[in-house]
Amino acid sequence: MLEIKNLQARVDGKDILKGLSLEVRAGEVHAIMGPNGSGKSTTAHVLAGREGYEVTGGTVTFDGKNLLELEPEERACEGIFLGFQYPVEIPGVSNLTLLKAALNARRKYRGQPEIEPTDFLAWVRDRAKLVKIDPKMLSRGVNEGFSGGEKKRNEILQMLILEPRLMILDETDSGLDIDALKIVADGINALRSPERATVLVTHYQRLLDYVQPDHVHVLAGGRIVKSGGAELARELEEKGYGWLEAA
Amino acid sequence: MSLAAYAESFERFAAGLPEPQRAARRAELQRFLDAGFPTPRIEEWHYTDLAPLADRSFTLAGPAAAFAFEPLPGADQLVYLNGRLDRARSTAPELHADHLPEQAGSDSVSALNGAFASGGLHLQLARGQALPRPLQVVLAGVAGEAPAMVHQRHRIELGDNAEATLVFQFLGQGGGRLATQVIEVNLGPGARLNLYRVQDEQAEATLLSRIDARLDRDSRLTAVVVDCGSGLVRHDFNVSLAAPGAEVALAGLYQPAPGSHLDNHTRIVHAAPHCRSRERFKGIVDARAKAVFVGKVVVQPGAQKTDSEQHIANLLLSKKAEVNAKPELEIYADDVKCAHGATVGQLDDVALEYLRSRGIAAAEARAMLLRAFGAEVLERIGLPALRARLAARMGLGAEGAPAEIE
Repeated sequence: MLEIKNLQARVDGKDILKGLSLEVRAGEVHAIMGPNGSGKSTTAHVLAGREGYEVTGGTVTFDGKNLLELEPEERACEGIFLGFQYPVEIPGVSNLTLLKAALNARRKYRGQPEIEPTDFLAWVRDRAKLVKIDPKMLSRGVNEGFSGGEKKRNEILQMLILEPRLMILDETDSGLDIDALKIVADGINALRSPERATVLVTHYQRLLDYVQPDHVHVLAGGRIVKSGGAELARELEEKGYGWLEAA
Repeated sequence: MSLAAYAESFERFAAGLPEPQRAARRAELQRFLDAGFPTPRIEEWHYTDLAPLADRSFTLAGPAAAFAFEPLPGADQLVYLNGRLDRARSTAPELHADHLPEQAGSDSVSALNGAFASGGLHLQLARGQALPRPLQVVLAGVAGEAPAMVHQRHRIELGDNAEATLVFQFLGQGGGRLATQVIEVNLGPGARLNLYRVQDEQAEATLLSRIDARLDRDSRLTAVVVDCGSGLVRHDFNVSLAAPGAEVALAGLYQPAPGSHLDNHTRIVHAAPHCRSRERFKGIVDARAKAVFVGKVVVQPGAQKTDSEQHIANLLLSKKAEVNAKPELEIYADDVKCAHGATVGQLDDVALEYLRSRGIAAAEARAMLLRAFGAEVLERIGLPALRARLAARMGLGAEGAPAEIE
C-alpha cells in the first residue's frame, strides 16, 4: 500500500530525514518510535504533504501512485488521514461544516454525488458515540474551546467519519489520561481491517498496549535503525533509546 | 479651491424655494463655502481627501428613469431615485417628508447637505407604537449625462418604548455622482431601533453618509452596517448615549471592491452614567482597495459605570491592500470599563493546511475561512433574506453548511 524508499527531507534548511525506507501493507499496523528529534513527526508530515517540508530525495508511492506529486487535499481524497499532534482551532467553521465538506470532497474525487444531509447527520451521530463526543459539541467551531483530550478524540472522530485507508497518527496519544487513551485506541481498532493500514508515530509504548502493532520501527538520526515486532516496543520502554544510539 | 460650481448650483436651486427655507439654506451654503471640503489636515479626515471635489462641477440630479432593486420580502419599501420619491415602488409613501428642517450640523459636509437637501424618510412613532413591518429605504443614485449630485436628509423619532426595524440601502448605477445622506435618529426612553445600513456603490461615485443618533434613557440601538461596494465612500456614525441605561450595539463588515476607498468613522459618546456600547467591525480587504476604520469612544465626566467594548479585525488578502484601523479613546471618568482591540492579519495558514489535510481543496478552504470571518457580523442581521443576499453578494454565502444537530 505505502512504499517509502530512501526518503530524505529538510525542514528550515536542516536535513531531518536521511534515507528512510518503510513498506506498509494493507491490514498492517506499524509503530514508529524514537527519541525526540529523530524525525518521527517529520515523516508523518511529509506523507501528508504539509508545507515547509522539503523532500530532497527518495520516493513515496501509495497504491503505486507517486504520493509526493499530490497536493495535500488530493492525498486525503486518496485515503490518507493525518491525525495531528496539535489539532488546530478554527473558530467560525463548525465541526459539522468541516466534516461535511471533507466527506463531499472525497465523494466528488471519486465521482460520487454529495451525501444526503439526513444520512450525514445519522452517520456523524453514530460515530460520535464511539469516541464519546456529545454531538452538540459538533455545532461549535472546529476544536473551539475543546480540552486537549477532546481535541485528540475529535481527530479520531474525523477519522472514523472519513474512513481513510491509511491512518497516520502523529503522537495522538501524548498528553492523554488513561480513559481518553482507551477511547482513542478503541477508535483506531474500530477501523482496523484487512483493507486498511495504520502508522502510529509515538514516543511512548503506552498506546501500543491497546493497539497491537504488527511492526515496530525505531527511528534515530533520520532513518530506521531497528525493526521488530511488538516486543521491540516493550524492550524500548524498559531500556530507553540510549542502547540503540550507542549501537 | 474654487467651489464656484456649488454656489452656482445653489442659486439655480434657491430660485424655486419658498422664502423662509431660502435664508436658512443660504446660511448653510455660506458655512460650507467658508469651510470648504474637509482636507486631510483635519484630524477626522486624515485618511480621506475630499479636496478634489472642490473643482468639480455637479448639477443637482434630475429624475432617473429606472433602477433595478430587489424588495425585501415581508418589508415595506420607501424608494428614492436620485433623491426623488418613487411612489410607484414605495409601499409606505406616507413616511416620506418633502422637507426636513436642518438641525444644527457640525462639519462642512453637513452644511453642504443642509444647503441642498431634499427630504426623505420621516418616521415618527408615538409612545408604545411599533412599526408593523421592517422598512426598506432604498437610496439609489443613477448617473445621467453630466456629473450630478444628490443630497438628502432623513429623520427617525421613536417615542417612549416604540420599536422599529429599518434598512437603509445606498445603491448606485454609473459613476460621476456625488451623494450626501444625513440620517437623524432620536430614541425616546425605552425605544428600540434595529438599523441596517448597506452600501453597494459604484466606481467613480462619491458617497458621504452620516448618522447622528441620540439615545434617551434605557433605549437601545442595534445597528449592522455592511459595505460591499466601490467608489469613494465615507460614513460617519455618531451615537450619543444621553441618559442612563442607554445601549448601542454596532457591528460592521466591509469588503471594499478593488480601486475603492472606504472610510468608516464611528463616534460613541457616553454622556451619562450606566450606559453600554459594543462595537465589532471586521474588514476583508483585497488588492488595491483601501479601508479606514476609526472608532472614537468618548466617556464624558460623570459618565461613571460606563461599559464599553470595541473590537476591530481586518483580513488583508493581498500585499497591495491597505487598512488603517484606529481605536481612539477619550476617557474623563474614573469608574469605567473600556476595552478595545484592533488586529490586522492574513488568513490563518495553519487552519488552511488543516482543512486541506481533510481533503478540502485550497480554494474552498479559503472560502470557508472567509465565510467564518464574515459570519460573525452577518449573523447579527435579524432579517434572513437580507443576510442571505449580502452573504451571496460578498461571496460569503453559506452554501453547503449542514443542519445543526439538536
